[in-house]
Amino acid sequence: MSDTVSPSLKDELVAQIGNLRAFAVSLCGDRERADDLVQETLFKAWNNLSSFEEGTNLKAWLFTILRNTYFSERRKKKREVEDVDGAYAAKLSSSPEQHGHMDMRDFQEALDELPDDQREALILVGAAGFSYEEAAEISGCAVGTIKSRVNRARRRIAEALHLEGEADEVTAKAGRAPVVASRSA
Amino acid sequence: MTEDDKDKAPRRMAVDASKRTQRPDDELVEPAAQQDAGMSPALQAHIGRQVRAVFDSVAQEPVPEHLLRLLKDLDDSGEK
Repeated sequence: MSDTVSPSLKDELVAQIGNLRAFAVSLCGDRERADDLVQETLFKAWNNLSSFEEGTNLKAWLFTILRNTYFSERRKKKREVEDVDGAYAAKLSSSPEQHGHMDMRDFQEALDELPDDQREALILVGAAGFSYEEAAEISGCAVGTIKSRVNRARRRIAEALHLEGEADEVTAKAGRAPVVASRSA
Repeated sequence: MTEDDKDKAPRRMAVDASKRTQRPDDELVEPAAQQDAGMSPALQAHIGRQVRAVFDSVAQEPVPEHLLRLLKDLDDSGEK
């Protein structure tokens, strides 16, 4: 169906590559493998564009393809190789030049330590800009499951970084006024 | 844990991505992500900023040439 791909759809596809790479890195923790994953995702997406309804959520569709590709490959590999996660933490934490300062490195480590499902949920909702509903669709689970994963992920990170009860101090350190999420005010 | 029960997150129906490609301003807590009664909004916002920073550090890198080339090749092969 590639002969019917409209230029604007192609542009949208290109525009999502950065997000897909970031999601892939957060899933597999290995930048080279992440790019392979993105490549495979783009290939599959291109060949299945006919099943994509233009005007609907291309980003969520692409993220779904990527995570399904990742997990089905991982299931296959897990039968052969044991430790996928061990290699994970080692590789991700070894690129200090990416992260400006210590805080960020500690945070990255805490993120890497999360169980896969919690990290995925936190990334989708907290970084990639998806709603809980969209994240649930992408991960193939219930909305409530995503919510509780996100909450557990946050708490674990807060515990790992000893942030509980220090919220004001934290924001002060970051040089910002405390952020209050007021939608009702 | 009771967070599932609280269920206070805004009910936004899934899917219209076009409106959400830009994230809210950095200073705002993501509406979908702000509801956890057990954690202060400031701490949630702090964690949110960090998660986004980690994500963006990769997302904002220049796209590797070979990925752009892949799409171009697929496009070209479709036209022939």
